[in-house]
Amino acid sequence: MGEEIKTFKDLRKEVIDKGLCGKCGGCYSFCSAGELNALEIGEGDLPVYRDEEKCLKCGICYLICPQIDVLDDELKARFGWMPPIGSYQAISSARTTDKDVMDVCTDGGVVTSLLLYLLDRNQIDGAVVSRKKSPFAREPIIALTREDVVSAAGSQYSVSFHLEEIGGKYSTYSPILPSVKSLEKRYLTNIVVVGTPCQISSIRKMQCLGILPAHLIKYTIGLFCIESLSFDDLARKSLEKRFDINFDNIRKLNIKEDFIVTLSNGATVHIPLREVDEFARPACLACSDFSNEYADISVGGLGSPDGYTTTIVRTRLGEELFWNALKQGYIEEIAFRDSEERRLQKTKALAKIVSFSRRKRLRAENELRKLLGA
Amino acid sequence: MVAGSDHSVLVIGGGIAGIQASLDLGETGIKVHLVEREPNIGGRMAQLDKTFPTNDCSICILSPKMAECFRHPNITVHTYSEVKEVKGSKGDFFVRILKKARFVKEKECVGCGDCTAKCPVKVPDEFDMRLGRRGAMYFYFLQGLPRIPTIDKVHCLYLTRGVCGICKKVCKKDAVDFEQKDVELELNVGAIVVATGFDPFDPTGLSQYSYGRYRNVITALEYERLICSSGPTGGELERPSDRKPVETIAFIQCVGSRDVRNNPFCSSVCCMHATKEAILAREHNPNARSYVFYTDLRAVRKGFQKYVARGQEQYGVTYVRGRVAKVTEDDYENPIVWYEETRGSEMVKMKVDMAVLATSLVPRRGAVDLAKVLGVKLDEYGFFKTNPLSPLDSSRDGIFVCGSCREPVDIPDSVAQASGAAEKAAETVMRM
Repeated sequence: MGEEIKTFKDLRKEVIDKGLCGKCGGCYSFCSAGELNALEIGEGDLPVYRDEEKCLKCGICYLICPQIDVLDDELKARFGWMPPIGSYQAISSARTTDKDVMDVCTDGGVVTSLLLYLLDRNQIDGAVVSRKKSPFAREPIIALTREDVVSAAGSQYSVSFHLEEIGGKYSTYSPILPSVKSLEKRYLTNIVVVGTPCQISSIRKMQCLGILPAHLIKYTIGLFCIESLSFDDLARKSLEKRFDINFDNIRKLNIKEDFIVTLSNGATVHIPLREVDEFARPACLACSDFSNEYADISVGGLGSPDGYTTTIVRTRLGEELFWNALKQGYIEEIAFRDSEERRLQKTKALAKIVSFSRRKRLRAENELRKLLGA
Repeated sequence: MVAGSDHSVLVIGGGIAGIQASLDLGETGIKVHLVEREPNIGGRMAQLDKTFPTNDCSICILSPKMAECFRHPNITVHTYSEVKEVKGSKGDFFVRILKKARFVKEKECVGCGDCTAKCPVKVPDEFDMRLGRRGAMYFYFLQGLPRIPTIDKVHCLYLTRGVCGICKKVCKKDAVDFEQKDVELELNVGAIVVATGFDPFDPTGLSQYSYGRYRNVITALEYERLICSSGPTGGELERPSDRKPVETIAFIQCVGSRDVRNNPFCSSVCCMHATKEAILAREHNPNARSYVFYTDLRAVRKGFQKYVARGQEQYGVTYVRGRVAKVTEDDYENPIVWYEETRGSEMVKMKVDMAVLATSLVPRRGAVDLAKVLGVKLDEYGFFKTNPLSPLDSSRDGIFVCGSCREPVDIPDSVAQASGAAEKAAETVMRM
């Protein structure tokens, strides 16, 4: 046995060496959670062999990689995926009802409030989120209390959240999956993960296989994601010059129709998305999932007025979570004048999400064609 | 070997009844084939934390008997095996047994557990009543015998998808064999003892108890695993929703039992196991207060009434006469038990931390199929049919039944019946 199993070597050849690794951390989190310890996160947050001798050539890291399509059909069947944005039960514009959350969130604070609901009702033992370490560095944390969650909100959902949305990575990226591996020992058996499409895809593939550490993940909340941007000094200077902004004065970043930079003096600068596309990593350019199609609930600012979060309720579990949080008063839906306006706004929001999804899918096809040299 | 007998006996079911019957037969000098469907012998008794009315550790008194079965020169244990066909008649049965592939070479494996520790698959553990998780390569339970792990072929990634194979790679004895096939054994036996035991009744259909809907409503067998030190919480009595220590517990009796819509019979052991579980709650938490909601309190064996009195006097157990009408829940997931206080004839509700359902004992799944294979009759409830004056004889000559597969009984009764059935089987083969 063994000859035919594709291993990390193939993953390196087919994904990492081609610049297609999205740094979701899935391969590493599995390898270390299983105490196989053959991999580690190396330079540039890319997975590398820590000890090649220890690799048992199980081939699981290869299978669960978001860029590898072996399990894609199974995933699609399992979640009843359909074009153009995956399966969903409802789309809503909602916001938090919590003053504290509202103060620190950027859009509607829906993610934070859903996490608070889950924690308060003991539906989860913890939430894997990322929070700001320094202005452009983020770290994954396991939020165990309301305070943890709200503290992550302050950055996750004012700065990082929107960074996630534009790909979420800016000059840093928070590989949240590796932090999942340590969970079981801490007696956390039900957790929620908030993540980008590649992270959620990796989790869902692990769940297809029924393997650790994904068995601990009860809920997945997915962020809309166009691309991950990595600004090196050159890119930063070029943007600063072209749009007359100083990166040190950025208070928050957001994306709706375009890339919105809010400066500390309150001024906002709108940058067309095509201007920042060039800073996206190839992995993101080759990713076809904008609206986080396999999450229980997907969220983002696109399609909602300021102060609201567009929420796509996808799975039965997500539906239960969303309606319960609504019923218990953790979040509220936007008020419309009448059903006509409601219908119109929802159609508009859906159209925007569909258009972004199409764009991302098309871009991925082109990028892959380019990479394959066709 | 006893003079005049070269016939062996087949014992079906490796719980306490089957184990006892095998040991008695073996001691008589008769060759025994003990067939167990699960990967290990031990049965339901292995899942219990303590036994009533002595509070003995269940596995501690069972383990020596399990070990004795394996050591006994006259007993051959066939685990992970099922009886597929029985032909012939009393004194000369021809039996076909399917031994399912474990995918582990039993002769090579030393039971070190390297493979189970590394199996990356995590699925609900049936032995822990699905409260914990196990790998696809797993030991059925901690003290299980033989100490050989088993691959669950439904969840194994190598057998289903051709990847992984970690267990084989980490096994220093090269004992993992993915090519292993099910094998059939053919036996010739003079008599058969059936000891297939019971399953707990699934209360999901009884919506008034809200089992499956509320997390803090659990079954008695789940409770046994929760308080067991080898169970999913390591023996901490914590309620499922928030893992807080449990203080007030409602034990709801006759769930599915003595109920014409479900099982009209009395399950016989529940009054006593509820008493035991209530006593153990206090042993786990000195502040625990238990309420047993009973229809009639049936403490009919030696020492049982005294055990109940001990519970009342020393362990804070309150017995409330009244059938529970329904269980609801407050905003903090505390179950609320609605019942009729029969002394005052009024409807009362009580808020508790956790509710434990004493579900009926019903025949094991597969009892109908086994009865067909054996050519024996079942009674109206699905238990093996017997007559009042020959309570251990099935409807077919040479086939005897004992333990909870013939009616719900406790451990001492199972053991007594097992010895009786073994004697009848011995008598049958020794007369041949």
